[in-house]
Amino acid sequence: MNKIRDIDEITRALARVEPGKPGGHADDAGARKLLAAIAAERPAPSIGHPQRRPARRLVLGLAGAGLLAVGIAVGPGLLLKDSGTPSYAVTKEPDGVVYVQIRDFRDKEGLAKRLKELNVPAIVDYAPPGQWCKEPRGTLVRDIPRGLYSVPENIPGEEPGRGWQMRIDTKLFKPGQTFVWTISDNSTSTILRSGPIAPCVLVPDKSHDPKPPVKSDYRLATTKGRSLAGFRVDEKTVGEVLPEIKRRGLKVEYLIMAVAPDNPGGFGVLRTQTKPVGDDWIVWEAEESLREPGLIRLLVTDKRFDRNPVYAGPRDNVITE
Amino acid sequence: MGSEPVGFESLYRETFGRITAYAARRCHSPQDAADVVAETFAIAWRRMGEVPEGEQALLWLYGVARKVLANHYRVEVRRQALSVEFDAEMADLYQAAPDSGVELTAIAQIFRALPDTDRELLSLVAWEELDRQQIATVLGMSRNAVRIRLHRARRRFARALAEADVHFTSASRLASAKGQL
Repeated sequence: MNKIRDIDEITRALARVEPGKPGGHADDAGARKLLAAIAAERPAPSIGHPQRRPARRLVLGLAGAGLLAVGIAVGPGLLLKDSGTPSYAVTKEPDGVVYVQIRDFRDKEGLAKRLKELNVPAIVDYAPPGQWCKEPRGTLVRDIPRGLYSVPENIPGEEPGRGWQMRIDTKLFKPGQTFVWTISDNSTSTILRSGPIAPCVLVPDKSHDPKPPVKSDYRLATTKGRSLAGFRVDEKTVGEVLPEIKRRGLKVEYLIMAVAPDNPGGFGVLRTQTKPVGDDWIVWEAEESLREPGLIRLLVTDKRFDRNPVYAGPRDNVITE
Repeated sequence: MGSEPVGFESLYRETFGRITAYAARRCHSPQDAADVVAETFAIAWRRMGEVPEGEQALLWLYGVARKVLANHYRVEVRRQALSVEFDAEMADLYQAAPDSGVELTAIAQIFRALPDTDRELLSLVAWEELDRQQIATVLGMSRNAVRIRLHRARRRFARALAEADVHFTSASRLASAKGQL
């Protein structure tokens, strides 16, 4: 019989990349491009303050089950125009480094003008919801010099999600290169291109919109007028919830949630089943089927978490009625 | 990373090697590994506000990568971001196939036939060199559960090896086998 140490040693021998050792290098060309491409997407606002999140985020949360429910980008800034802060700010340091802060994603003229004044070769377009600039608009630059621009980040001292800032080193632009920005209420893309850039022709394109909640065949069951109105299920056990559901003559199925380590908020779907789960399982929310009236889907896990994964905290922080 | 706010770029730079290694050790093709790496970091980017600091960040990413692998998070389209270069860089990691020797091939087959959780526990110990607490964080289970399941996983692997009549006299022999890879 092999001893424990041998077993670990045997397993080690099977490793494609030597145990404990890193694989790829972040400085390699492909790795740098991947970083730039990921960072060109606008990040979702932090979910650190669920109480500030409008209730529609919840709808996304529920409907997006199977994806990262809470991790979906929802529009920043626009609603906050009256905050008194300027919609954008561009400042230039003596060494050619420019800092851009954007809070209002509609003022493309102002931003473009300011960038031009500071010698940043940039084109800025605004795409309204449901539209995007038609591609291709120009040649993508594959070899992006390190440090040309930083990934967009939160504006220091401001609530995450309202706006972002990025750092651009204007010295690193090569002749003929243009920074092409497409800003919208929901996402921003910043892509480095070379050669002539076609003007932005808006075409219908929903891929940059927040994922609509319409795909779901289910909706929240525990709010006013719904099949479980007046009955809270969140954070109760399955055993506590089932009698009331039966009393109301409803059928039940279970969505077994997958919760990421440390329960960051949001969940995936392990599986959906009609087979009963343990009475001690925890219910985090209930939905009702739109296709099959009278069918309730309980969102459950086999153990209790420190906070409700569906809402990244107490349900009351999100649903107020 | 320390107590400084973790910027995405520094997170990427600090964990890229580990995450690519994690993916390469578990995926049969470099393209799959590239997909897993890209999707893992894309999720981290979208959820930057949730990524814990310090060492925990790497464990968090392992947890995400594991879910991407298990398809709990959909790898939607093959990302535009994936370039020929990145595929090639991942392919470099596949140059020395780990199960090239006859004996190791047999072992690798037995290993692959183990239950998923067994394999992942054994791998996190032997490949990523995580301790029980770290594994508990990655897998979202208690430390005690890790201890018990790891014990069982080792026992099952040992039994399967014994049944297949694969024996190892000592660790040193394996070490030399490894040197030839």
